[in-house]
Amino acid sequence: MSKSSASASGHALWAKMPKANAELFALTYGSLVTELVRDYDNADEVNSQLDRIGHSIGVRCVDEFLSKAEVSGINIPPCQTMKDTADVVARIGFRMFLGVSAEVANFSPDGSAFSLFLYDNPLSIFVELPSSEEAAATMGGAGGCDLSKIKYSNVFCGVIRGALEQVNLKVECRFVRDALRGDDVNEIRVELKEVLMDGAGEDYQEE
Amino acid sequence: GIEKIEAGGIVLCCLQTRTGVKFVITAEPSTPDLDLMLREIYVLYSDCALKDPFYELEMPIRTDLFTSAVDALLERFDSRGTKVR
Repeated sequence: MSKSSASASGHALWAKMPKANAELFALTYGSLVTELVRDYDNADEVNSQLDRIGHSIGVRCVDEFLSKAEVSGINIPPCQTMKDTADVVARIGFRMFLGVSAEVANFSPDGSAFSLFLYDNPLSIFVELPSSEEAAATMGGAGGCDLSKIKYSNVFCGVIRGALEQVNLKVECRFVRDALRGDDVNEIRVELKEVLMDGAGEDYQEE
Repeated sequence: GIEKIEAGGIVLCCLQTRTGVKFVITAEPSTPDLDLMLREIYVLYSDCALKDPFYELEMPIRTDLFTSAVDALLERFDSRGTKVR
């Protein structure tokens, strides 16, 4: 798909989605992260829980994405390369569900990995993460969670992973740059690990 | 995959999604717009069944919201003069 038609599709689908209050959305997510921080002692555990939550969301999101696109007459052709997948995820997927535009770049030489750049993050509009010095000072002897190491929006990585898994692409996603930690942009690196064989037909195979 | 089977007195239409979900509908042979109906049902599946937090993937769908939405969809198609079982 051409870039502009993908963006137009994303915009059209976004227009059809029911909207939620942005503050409610951000604060609900914030309270989720706060609860996880209270429940788990270390930042890695919180990050992996966020990824797991995102995975559950992604697995369901993709059917909604495909069904609504089809019903709206927007044709999303099957992806031939990871580049197509990247464009669809960033320009149509992120646009449709979050209303933000994401860019893709930094493709690996064999085309199996790419970076997704998010300039606006609707989840983190009220959030400030402490720097590592501040976090160390407040942790003290409390044995709490090191907040500076939390990947606040790690749910996105899980969503991408879950969604692509449903269409037989096994990927690994991780945040490499986080605006909450002082970088100028959010960058998620997506790497294709395996193209899964469709397991659905196994029951019907002839012996 | 299978898209449509027509046999004595019955037509069976199938929609296979890219995520591996299959929607199958049976109807009387003269029914128009079966593929359109299947696509609408796919939308209802993603909106009602998948968003139910207690629905597990691949399990039978026992969500009331989904059932009543499908009923309403069938009534809408019915009122346009089609007959679907």
